[in-house]
Amino acid sequence: MKTALLPGRNGGSFTFAIRLLAVIGILVCALPVAIVTIMSFSASEFTGFPPQSFSFRWYQDVWALFTAADASSAQSVSEATLTSITVAVLVMIISTVVCVPLAYVLARSERRVREGMETLFTLPLVFPLVMLGIAFLLMAESLKLELGIWRIVIPHVALVLPFVLRNCLGAMSGIHVEVEEAAVSLGASPARAFWDVVIPMMKPGILAGLIFALIISFNEFTVTFFMYTIDISTLPIWMYSRTVSSLDPATLAISVVIILFDLVLILLVDRLIAGRANLF
Amino acid sequence: MTLKTTRRNLLISGAAGAAALAMPAVLRAADHGSLKGKEIRLLTWSDNTGLAILENIAKPFEEATGAKVIADRTGSTSEMVAKLRALGDRPQYDVITLAGVGAVELAGDGLLAKPDLNKLPNLEQVDPRFRTGADGHGIGYLLWTGGLIYNTKTFSAPPTSYEQLWDAAHDGRLFLPPATWTDALDTIFATGKLLGGDGTNADEAFAKLGELRDRLLTFGENPTQISELFRSNALDIGGVYAPAFYAKELNDPANSNMGASYAVDEGFFADLMYTIVPKSHPGEDDAVHAFINYTLDANVQGVMAEAVLNGPINKNAVMSDAAKASPFIIKPEQLGDSAVVHDKAFIADVREDWIAKYTQILT
Amino acid sequence: MTSHLSRRLAFAFTLPALVAIAPFVAACLYILRFSLSGEQGVIEGFSLTPYYELLTPYFGRSVWITLKLSLIATSVVIVLAVPLALVLVTLQSNLARRLLTVTILLPLILNLLVQAYGWVLLLGPSGVINSTLIALGLTDRPVRLMFNETGVLLGLIQTSLPLAVFPIASSVRSISSEYLEAASSLGATHWRSFRDITLPLLRPGLVAAASIVFAFNASAFAIPLLLGGRRVQMVGLAVRDMISPLFNWSGAAAGGMVLILLTIFVLFASNYLVRKTTARIGT
Repeated sequence: MKTALLPGRNGGSFTFAIRLLAVIGILVCALPVAIVTIMSFSASEFTGFPPQSFSFRWYQDVWALFTAADASSAQSVSEATLTSITVAVLVMIISTVVCVPLAYVLARSERRVREGMETLFTLPLVFPLVMLGIAFLLMAESLKLELGIWRIVIPHVALVLPFVLRNCLGAMSGIHVEVEEAAVSLGASPARAFWDVVIPMMKPGILAGLIFALIISFNEFTVTFFMYTIDISTLPIWMYSRTVSSLDPATLAISVVIILFDLVLILLVDRLIAGRANLF
Repeated sequence: MTLKTTRRNLLISGAAGAAALAMPAVLRAADHGSLKGKEIRLLTWSDNTGLAILENIAKPFEEATGAKVIADRTGSTSEMVAKLRALGDRPQYDVITLAGVGAVELAGDGLLAKPDLNKLPNLEQVDPRFRTGADGHGIGYLLWTGGLIYNTKTFSAPPTSYEQLWDAAHDGRLFLPPATWTDALDTIFATGKLLGGDGTNADEAFAKLGELRDRLLTFGENPTQISELFRSNALDIGGVYAPAFYAKELNDPANSNMGASYAVDEGFFADLMYTIVPKSHPGEDDAVHAFINYTLDANVQGVMAEAVLNGPINKNAVMSDAAKASPFIIKPEQLGDSAVVHDKAFIADVREDWIAKYTQILT
Repeated sequence: MTSHLSRRLAFAFTLPALVAIAPFVAACLYILRFSLSGEQGVIEGFSLTPYYELLTPYFGRSVWITLKLSLIATSVVIVLAVPLALVLVTLQSNLARRLLTVTILLPLILNLLVQAYGWVLLLGPSGVINSTLIALGLTDRPVRLMFNETGVLLGLIQTSLPLAVFPIASSVRSISSEYLEAASSLGATHWRSFRDITLPLLRPGLVAAASIVFAFNASAFAIPLLLGGRRVQMVGLAVRDMISPLFNWSGAAAGGMVLILLTIFVLFASNYLVRKTTARIGT
């Protein structure tokens, strides 16, 4: 359908150049992960590349880590993982629920309003995260707030808003106002038109936003580093102490497992929400 | 008569010594299960030294007393200080182990409680120089020591002077501690002494350090990255840096290429680390004191010294023969003349200025 | 245009998002207030000293390095992201499309410390690339590919690439292929129709992607820390040094404010320039 964008046959130098650049992009994204994955199957304790022989021994260690009680950290890795998932799911839901209607309104409003709001919702991206982390901590402590898990959820929501909103806005840009007007002229209320007509059309953008929110929250470190408490901690915090103290193939195996975990979460969200119009 | 008194004194101190030696066992028997259900929240380093605390102090303490130690193992000393300052009068922790400077700063902010020394009988066995600090707010823990780290493939014999860092042969193959670590202040000191001063001649030292700017491969922000660079033979030398990170590597130079030396003309650096207790901490005082006392136990000190190559401060620290012979573990009596122990007041005074200059000159 | 969208409905639709961002706005105001504090560690009194103290060649260089690296990284990211988006959208096979999507997301997922370790194995003085170069006799000393600006630049490009690909891909999807078919039936070459049709239609998506990438890179801190060997002092890193170990929190707040104002300025300037050029093309 979109073949004209990137002609497959008879594309000549254009297709070649585009494909070359895409391959470079893929390499940039994947090389470190590929190396880490290969190393995690090394049979040796030493981290020389390439490994001399391969084994699953580090994955057995990881299995033991997730199944046995672990005293090397405030929270066991399974507790931290559970917290991370809870936080990420809350963040994902909240950010999407607030961004979809906002994107809809912004796409239909004047340029000035739209640009102003877009800038406001880009700001969380602009702030040095370290500063933001300490500001959130100082505020929470000076107000003596008992927030529980929300002390991590609230900052995370702010951090993912730029991504979710941009993706929703991107999805709105293809939906012309005539579509709703048609629905309204057929007797639907504006809210109904939004729900029945616009939302389904926004689905790919919403889904991209959801997945970004999920991944970013699940893997966020810097702000969480200030906001976590000894009782409520996340997987990246656990992973940090682990990596700082020992960078052995077992650590790499854990990273690979975390990547798989992310992928499962992504696919799950994709299946649950997208139905046929999935992102992948 | 003199003889008698002397004898008497001897007898008394002998008895005290014997009592002190027997103390851990007595305490352990008395404490067994007595702290059941009590919780202690511990904040410590994220690196391997923190991990060792969990394995060699927290775990056996839990087994001996029935208390539960909940450990938070994240950050460096300065990150801990930042977090505790932000938490103010609502600390989440009962006990924190950290470097000397951190204890002094937090005590200065009025955030620390003064532990009751009477509840810490093991202090009796601790070298008097290292019992307390930070105006009574810090209880001595272990000695952090720093010297030169070198590549055993490049150096047939350990380097004997910091001058080696300036050897053109190591261009692009050397590292320095990051500005944010106290080891950077040691490096400035070492450079000053190399130039013939007493270490406080910072201006000269900065000019000399500046020469290394383009020869530096990296700063040692990440100890595991440094060991990987040694392993792959990309680094020759670096310092002032602590062997504490590399207990495993230094035992296996054939694979790690790593060696460490304190026998340097300009001296090596020793810093007393502290255990501190924040004011209005959540846990119970008795459990907290029992824990601190436990960190000073002769056995615990010996095991920790061996695990992270820190110097034990308990004079009776029980160590294996290998640990006793280890050149990397500095016992208090070995400090001698070549150890530089900073005047904390002086360091507190120049710290900010030195950190800023060090960063500016080298990056 | 907003005829069917009543003010009340618009307000009701905007409110939840404003509530969600309110804590962040409060944090911004808190930082602004801190940056004007007379004391370094607590908010007390008013003073411009924190800003005044930033007027050093050192901080100036930090700002310059930050702007330079972020701009270069953003340009490279866009050059790589457009082809990736084109490929992603035009892939026929579902499996291939899923694999590519996951690959692009990888840099966001992998722990940065571990990722940095992967880069050391690749780019380090004894890494795969250097040992290959030395084995081929192309150089006798390892080329410095990391622990300097090159390494930081690579890291910035890698971590921000996923942020650009998806917004651009959704713009690509909304391009009607009729335009391109018309162009090719008129005999335009692929390069021409890319330059004259695809790119202009993508422009809003490109600007959005570029601004998100630029903002993300300008505030980077972990990448210069891990891949720069601490030798590339971007503003994010300078701010962290002020928070700990220098405990100059008002200075850190002022540094953060400067970074934000600069970024907003760059974003507005680029928006303005783009609008101006688009308007000219339109007429």
